[in-house]
Amino acid sequence: MKKIVLLILVNLLFSTAIAHGQPVRIAYLQSDIHQLPCWVALEKGFFKKEGVKVEVAGIFKAGPELMSAFAAGALDMGYVGVAPATTAVANKTARVVVLAQVNTEGSAIVVKKDGKVQNIPELVGKIAAVPGHATVQDSLFRRALLKFKTEPDQVKIMVLKPPEMIGALRTDQIDAFIAWEPYPAKAVTMGVGRILASSRDIWKDHPCCVLAADVKFLEMQLEKAKGVVRGHVKAIDFIRQHRDEAIKIGMKYTGMDEASIRMAMENVNYTPVLSVEGEKEYVDFLTKLKYIKVEDVQNFVDRFMRPEFVKEIIKK
Amino acid sequence: MKKEHFLLPLLLILIWQGLSSIQVIPSYKLPSPVEILLGLKDLLILGVPPGNLLHNHVLYSLYRVALGYAIAALLAIPLGLLMGWSAGLLRMIRPLFELVRPIPPLAWIPIAILWFGIGIKSAVFIIFLGAFFPILLNTISGVLSIHPILIEAARTLHAREKDIFLKVLLPGAVPSIFVGMRIGIGIGWMTLVAAEFTGVKEGYGLGYMIMTARDIQRPDEILAGMLVIGVIGLLIDIGLRAIESRMIKWQ
Amino acid sequence: MAIRETPLGLDFLELSKTFPGKGVRESVHVLENIQQRIENGRFVSIIGPSGCGKTTLLRIIAGLEKASAGKVLLDGKELAQGTEEVGLVFQEYALFPWRTTLQNIEMGPEIKGVEKEKRRSKAMEYIKMFNLNGFENRYPRELSGGMKQRVAIARTLIMNPRVVLMDEPFGSLDSQTRNALQEFLLRIWGKRGDTIVFVTHNVDEAVFLSDQIIVLSKRPARIVKTFEVGLPRPRDRTGQECNEIRREVLKVLSEEIK
Repeated sequence: MKKIVLLILVNLLFSTAIAHGQPVRIAYLQSDIHQLPCWVALEKGFFKKEGVKVEVAGIFKAGPELMSAFAAGALDMGYVGVAPATTAVANKTARVVVLAQVNTEGSAIVVKKDGKVQNIPELVGKIAAVPGHATVQDSLFRRALLKFKTEPDQVKIMVLKPPEMIGALRTDQIDAFIAWEPYPAKAVTMGVGRILASSRDIWKDHPCCVLAADVKFLEMQLEKAKGVVRGHVKAIDFIRQHRDEAIKIGMKYTGMDEASIRMAMENVNYTPVLSVEGEKEYVDFLTKLKYIKVEDVQNFVDRFMRPEFVKEIIKK
Repeated sequence: MKKEHFLLPLLLILIWQGLSSIQVIPSYKLPSPVEILLGLKDLLILGVPPGNLLHNHVLYSLYRVALGYAIAALLAIPLGLLMGWSAGLLRMIRPLFELVRPIPPLAWIPIAILWFGIGIKSAVFIIFLGAFFPILLNTISGVLSIHPILIEAARTLHAREKDIFLKVLLPGAVPSIFVGMRIGIGIGWMTLVAAEFTGVKEGYGLGYMIMTARDIQRPDEILAGMLVIGVIGLLIDIGLRAIESRMIKWQ
Repeated sequence: MAIRETPLGLDFLELSKTFPGKGVRESVHVLENIQQRIENGRFVSIIGPSGCGKTTLLRIIAGLEKASAGKVLLDGKELAQGTEEVGLVFQEYALFPWRTTLQNIEMGPEIKGVEKEKRRSKAMEYIKMFNLNGFENRYPRELSGGMKQRVAIARTLIMNPRVVLMDEPFGSLDSQTRNALQEFLLRIWGKRGDTIVFVTHNVDEAVFLSDQIIVLSKRPARIVKTFEVGLPRPRDRTGQECNEIRREVLKVLSEEIK
């Protein structure tokens, strides 16, 4: 009996020791310029400087995929759109909380450069692509339609991964798409598309990507999580002050040319400060679309968003 | 279908429900049978994405499969009969087919989209590829398996080439053709659902439905959708077997 | 070689057959200078050692093989390929498994283009003639060996060929069924009068059935001897006359088998 207890204790100690030595498993979205702070922090070693070892455990094509990885317990923290994160938590498949904002705005609706669609109501009866259901872009697009008095079910909305969108637009498979930067910028620099509306036009200051953390990870490794958030805030500062170098890092991680990246970054606002009001609007919207069912919105948002992390860092 | 056949699955489902109820199996990883049934209800009434109901997804998927499958059968059966009959033709065409056959239909998706765009034509093409080869190969082997003496018997009854083709080769190859057709529809159905993962213009399709359920984080709906896909595949197979046994009473 | 003035019969003229070699296989010389007349309306058996070429001879007459040399004439005219004058009953029945008894028998008329009503009623006649009543709609797998052979024979006879070739048709049946079918065949033939060329292993059978027995040698087969069996029918299988002829045939055969 004693031997078994000893074995268990050693095991626990060992795994905790290992856990403390394990790098933080972090993920981001492929070629999404919103995630620049993550790339900057990795390149400039900001996480390391806070004493945290970080490994990239996944690069995903869209938010919902990243949330699935959280559900499978494969991630500790992730840079992801707030809409897919909200959906996953509300539908109880992933247990994460949001520790910091990554950016606001930074998406755009793109149509064919010399095409038939000149304004939003002309999208009626046409085909538009979004990166996924219940993504930030999906919500933005529907919001844009409603803002211009068009019913979303009058437009054929289909799901495409952003890398496929420009090609589909070019060959007239679709009439419009909405994606995160730098895809809209790339469509413009390629001469294929033009911006019909940027997210600023649709919903000023709307929250977009957030830095989320797995609840269990947060409980067990609070200090590490805080370190990551500090590195994140540093990265955002760096982007503001050393724009050209940030652009180079953006080019490296997206593989795109300087002109596109520069244009893309004009459309994005990097900030670590969480917008709780913005989140409430998402919850309302997603509930209206029947993707989620949240009874007590305030309660949900209180438990989902943790603005105190960033507030603490900024105060210093 | 005896009562005993249902005993084991029923037992497994009960154990599963039990383990789920006490959360030994967490529901976000594997929803319980009850949750899956509720998810099925949502698929039927609410729809995924909301507003797109299950029966429409089913109809669109069936339509795509039927089209791709019909084209595959209409091409593969006559070609298979000819290739079984003419050794020269078989020798000529076979290397090309043997090269193309191992390529999984899903690997064709990027090319299909380039050639046919996003929409029903590329889905039908993928299904066609999946169903074509099993039907072709089984038809050829069906012809080759006809005892040569039957062809000679037909000749002694003064059959010309056309008679041999229609009255000996075709009926003689029918059992094998049916085997090929069953395999073909199985592959076609499986291929369709995966093919729909990549892009569906009409907004309907079982593969698309499951992908969307994943997007909105509803594993209960994902599994309910998988159940529907499995049941439909089973029903199709049962249907084909019934037709087969009617047509091949003589075996 | 002289041909008789009245060309009424099946003539083999200097018939030879060699199967060419393929790769490592050597060529096989099967038939050597077969010269024989079989008069119309006679029942003739061909008997010889195993593998001597009896089946090849039948297949040449039926048009399934081509002779390497020589000709086959019917009433002085060379037999065309696929001619309706000749029918062949296979040893293995060769019934079409996906067709019922009725449909198997109908096959020939169907190919010829005879319209459904006519060929159906004709086929039913043969069903009755061959005692297959009640089995019209059965498939070959449901029939006994004896029944299957009757269907095979009916299928051939419904085309009214002048020459009926039969390749060891009763070889795979038990002796009781075989005897019954031999008697049945004689009855049918008695009413029709076709020429029957009947290949068999079985000397008893040849003696019981035939007007004439042709004995072939080992490969390459020549005609060794022909026997006239002038006995009236029905014959006593175990009677003295049959025994005598059997003995003589066996003597010649055993020489060949050595």
